[in-house]
Amino acid sequence: MKLYDYILSPSCYKVRLMAALTDVRIDIRAVDFHPGAEHRGAELLALNPAGAIPILQDGDLILTESSAMLVYLASKVDPRWLGGGTAEEAARVQQWLSFSHRLTASLGGARLHEMLLRPGDIAGLQAQGTAALRELEAGLVEQSIRGMRFLASQRATIADIACFPYVALAPDGGVSLDPYPTIRLWSRAVRSIEGFIEMPGIHRLHDLKPEPLPETSGF
Amino acid sequence: MKSRTTGSWTPVALSADLPVGTVIPARTPTGPIALWRSQSGGVSAFADRCPHRGMRLSHGFVRGEALSCIYHGWSYAQAGNCVRIPAHPGLTPPEAIRVATRQVEEGDGIIWIAADQSATRPPRLDGLAPLRSLTACAGIAAIEAAAGTDASPGGIVGFANNSQTIRMLVASLEDEQALIHVLVEGDASPPERIAASRAAEALRRMAEHIQRKGIA
Repeated sequence: MKLYDYILSPSCYKVRLMAALTDVRIDIRAVDFHPGAEHRGAELLALNPAGAIPILQDGDLILTESSAMLVYLASKVDPRWLGGGTAEEAARVQQWLSFSHRLTASLGGARLHEMLLRPGDIAGLQAQGTAALRELEAGLVEQSIRGMRFLASQRATIADIACFPYVALAPDGGVSLDPYPTIRLWSRAVRSIEGFIEMPGIHRLHDLKPEPLPETSGF
Repeated sequence: MKSRTTGSWTPVALSADLPVGTVIPARTPTGPIALWRSQSGGVSAFADRCPHRGMRLSHGFVRGEALSCIYHGWSYAQAGNCVRIPAHPGLTPPEAIRVATRQVEEGDGIIWIAADQSATRPPRLDGLAPLRSLTACAGIAAIEAAAGTDASPGGIVGFANNSQTIRMLVASLEDEQALIHVLVEGDASPPERIAASRAAEALRRMAEHIQRKGIA
């Protein structure tokens, strides 16, 4: 299984994270997204005419939507990540998977504007991002009242993995996460899952590991 | 600085939003703070700025009874004194390296910060339990206008929505913003709690509309 990947892309990170959490080995093919714009070159356009990454290739199967990649990894290895024990839970997974595209458009758009100087209405993108974060916060508050720590269930599903990266990186686009206590608790819960991996800008929880001992030998 | 609604004490966060061994950011009328809870459960409030390089301590992490900065790992005890500098493992940090601390109290599920060295205790909630906190881009006057009532002397604004009345403990922030802590009866059922959360969202929309139109 080969992932066309860019280390700073939150959408690519979704797939790397899901693979790590389900203990799937994927071959990483690094794409020079910036400044090389390799995703708009002939080789990658042949795989994804939309000129976007990630792209996941497994034999004859070529996937170009990160949500579909999460479904593929979960279905193949550990279907518990799909959620869907009840009709309500199945619908919630789909609800938040679709919602995750709004995070990409708003918070992701603001981040591209601020980090890669992509043109856009930054105030509008930030306002849409804030509206999406408020909706996520309210949804998580209701889940916690129902006794659930994650978006669709008591355990994490692909919906959480789809929403987590762009939320965690919202400050890159100039959108503060300070006003959202329940998102903060959820972010901790996601980062506490066994097998969690980092990306630049999203660090692991240092407090889950013991304090490192000072080196005993010198140079 | 005293708040018109809650006096010397500012309600900055819910106890439930600060689990053991975590740090969170909070805003007060006298500046941003890092609010943290040690492994043994003690709550401390620090100025949100590491004395070393100015990094926000609320980005840090808690191990045991100390808060560590995410940048270079300088660690501080609850009294604010530096206890460890990882780059100098043999050094006992000098007493002069300290974070400014703030007086903090916890009661009825709310964490309060004192504006000055306060001899009084924070107000009590009388059987009400906190549900959630949310920030509104609206001042207290706009929130009162949206709710149709003024804040009580204890800083609580009531809001009747459909058949339900929710109560909100409101603290004023800078830039015409407010922090709203939604309170419900201690024995409220899950559906009542969800309805209260949705009512608070509706109230915030109305208050922000009033604020934008400048009609408070």
